[in-house]
Amino acid sequence: MAMLSFERKYRVRGGTLLGGDLFDFWFGPFYVGFFGVTTIFFTALGTLLIIYGAAIGPTWNLWQINIAPPDLKYGLGLAPLAEGGLWQMITVCAIGAFLSWALRQAEISRKLGMGMHIPWAYGMAVFAYLTLVVIRPVLLGAWGHGFPYGIFSHLDWVSNVGYQYLHFHYNPAHMIAITFFFTTTLALAMHGSLILSVTNPKKGEPVKTSEHENVFFRDFLGYSIGAIGIHRLGLFLALNAGLWSAICIVISGPFWTKGWPEWWGWWLNLPIWR
Amino acid sequence: MRTLTRVAFAGLVLTTTGCQFFASKDRDVVQKGYRGTAMEVNYVARNQEQAMAELAKKMPAILPPAGESPPGPLPWQNVQVLNDIPVAEFNRTMIAMATWVAGGPGNCAYCHNLASFASDTYPDGKAIYTKAVARRMIQMTRNINSEWTEHVGNTGVTCYTCHMGKPLPNGLWFYTNENQLLRHYLDGAGARVVSHTVSPSPENRSSVKQTEWTYALMITQSQALGVNCTFCHNSRQFSSWEQAPPQRVTAYAGIQMLRDVNTNYLAPLAGTYHPSRLGPMGDAPKAQCVTCHNGVYKPLYGFQMAKHYPAVWGTHTDWTTPLPPAFTTPPAPPVIDTAAVVADSLATPMASPASPVVPPTGR
Repeated sequence: MAMLSFERKYRVRGGTLLGGDLFDFWFGPFYVGFFGVTTIFFTALGTLLIIYGAAIGPTWNLWQINIAPPDLKYGLGLAPLAEGGLWQMITVCAIGAFLSWALRQAEISRKLGMGMHIPWAYGMAVFAYLTLVVIRPVLLGAWGHGFPYGIFSHLDWVSNVGYQYLHFHYNPAHMIAITFFFTTTLALAMHGSLILSVTNPKKGEPVKTSEHENVFFRDFLGYSIGAIGIHRLGLFLALNAGLWSAICIVISGPFWTKGWPEWWGWWLNLPIWR
Repeated sequence: MRTLTRVAFAGLVLTTTGCQFFASKDRDVVQKGYRGTAMEVNYVARNQEQAMAELAKKMPAILPPAGESPPGPLPWQNVQVLNDIPVAEFNRTMIAMATWVAGGPGNCAYCHNLASFASDTYPDGKAIYTKAVARRMIQMTRNINSEWTEHVGNTGVTCYTCHMGKPLPNGLWFYTNENQLLRHYLDGAGARVVSHTVSPSPENRSSVKQTEWTYALMITQSQALGVNCTFCHNSRQFSSWEQAPPQRVTAYAGIQMLRDVNTNYLAPLAGTYHPSRLGPMGDAPKAQCVTCHNGVYKPLYGFQMAKHYPAVWGTHTDWTTPLPPAFTTPPAPPVIDTAAVVADSLATPMASPASPVVPPTGR
C-alpha cells in the first residue's frame, strides 16, 4: 500500500510500552507494535472459539448462535467447555483484545507525542464491558451473571435482567445514562451541522470560519461554547453515557435487589409531604 | 507516560479486588432458566433469614397429637362441618383455631356463646356471625386443600396461613369502582392485553389503560410473593407458556383458586358479616395473593403446618352445607353487578375465565 507523501515523517521509532523495537513497524498503513500482535492473537482465537461454539451448538443461524455463560452453580470457578467454559475463554479473549487495542492506541499516541484522550475514551467502553462480564458477576458471585454472546440471546438477557428489577426505566443511573446518550447525539448533530453549514456557503461566497460559528450560537442561544469547548463537551457527554451505563447495571443486583420503582420510595417518603 | 500506565493498571487491580471486598455474601440469586438467559430471582438472603427467624418465633407450636376419643357417637350438638373427625381431634382443632384466628388458645368467646357452645346465637338472641363465617372458612380450607393441589401442592393451608393469629388476614379488599384491577380475582375480567398479530388489528383493541391495569395486577402478585417478573415469565415473550418457568402454571392455578375462593366462599358471606366488616359498597372482604403469601413466594416459607391437622383435609361431603344464615340485621344487598364488563369502551372482548387450569397450549 502506498504511503501518503507526508506520512513518512511521522513514522518514527520509539514510544512503545512493551516489546521495544521488536514490533515497532508498520504493516501497510497499520502500526503493529506488541499490542497489535496481541490484538490479532486474541481476536483470532476468540473468533475461532465462537465458530467452534456455533459448530457444537444447535444452529448456524447468525441471529440465533448463542455462546452462553455457565450455570450459576459454577460460581466463580471454571465450567466445562460446552457448558459455559467456552464463554469464559471467549471473555478472556475479548478482554485481551479490547485492552490490547487500547494500549495500541496509547503507543501510537506516545509515538506522535499526543495526549492520552483516545485510549482513555475507548477505555470507557471497555470498562462498561468489563462491568458487565467481570465486575458485576464477581460481585454477585458467579460468572453466570455475564451476558451471553449472541444476537438474539443477549437481547433476551437484557430484557430479563430489566424485568428482574420489575421496571428498569426507574433505575436512576439508567435514566442518567440514557440522557447522556441522547445528549451526545444532540451535541454531535448540532456540531456537525454547524461545521457543514460554514463550509458549504452559497455559491460564490467564501467559506466561513469560527467567527461565524461563534456568532451563530451567540445570536441563537446567547453563548457559544467555542471550538475546543464543543469537543470537550462531546467527550464529556460520551464518556458519561458509558460510565453511567456501567453504573446502572453494576448497582442492579449487587446493591439493589428489589424492583427499581420501589427505589423511589425515598421520594414519596420525603418529610415535606409524607 | 509510564506512570500513567502504572496508575491505570493499579486502578484496574484495585477495582477488581475492591469488588471482591464489597462482594456481598448475603445476595442470593436463584437460576430459573437456561444459563445466560437471566431467568433469575434475586433475594437478599440476610433479610430472608431474618424474616424466617422472626416468623418461626411468632408461629404457634404444633399442638400435641390428640389422645384417644371415647367410643360412640359424637357427643356434640349442632356440629355442621367438622363432624367427620374424632372428638379429641375436634377439640384440638378448636384450640388451634382460637390461636390461629382469635389471638390465643383460650379465646373461645370469639366464636362461641360461652353459656352454650352449641348455640349459634348469643344469650341476647343475636347471631354469632364469627361462628357462621368460621364454618364456611373450614369448608373453604378443605376445598383448597383437596381441589387446588395444583396451587397448594401437598403443603396445603390452615387458617394460620392467612390469618397469622389475627381475625383479619392481610390484603383484604373491597369494591371501590368498576375499573378496580383486583376484580380480576372475582369476576374473571380478562387481563390478557398482548396482541398475537404483527400489526395492529381490530382483533385486539386493548387500550394502554388496560395494559397498565394488567401491569399493576402483576405487580401486586410480584409484591405479594416477593419475587420479580422472571419468576413466572420469560420477558422475551410474556404471554408464551412454552418459554415460561413452571411457576407460572402454579400461579395461574392460584388465580383460578382465588376466583373460586372469592366467588364461592368469601363474597357470598356479605349477608352474614356484621355490617362493620363490609366494604363501602356493602360487599364482603375478599382475598388476593398477599392474603396467604404475605410477601413470601411460598406461604410460611413452605412450612408444612397443615399436615399436622387432619381437620383441614376433610372430604367434600360437607360442601353441600347451606350458606350460613343471614346476619340478624342484614345490610342492604350489594349493588355490584359482578358480570359488568370493564367500563372502558375500547375493552377487548376478553375470553371468559378459562376453566382448565392447564393453559391451552400446555407445557
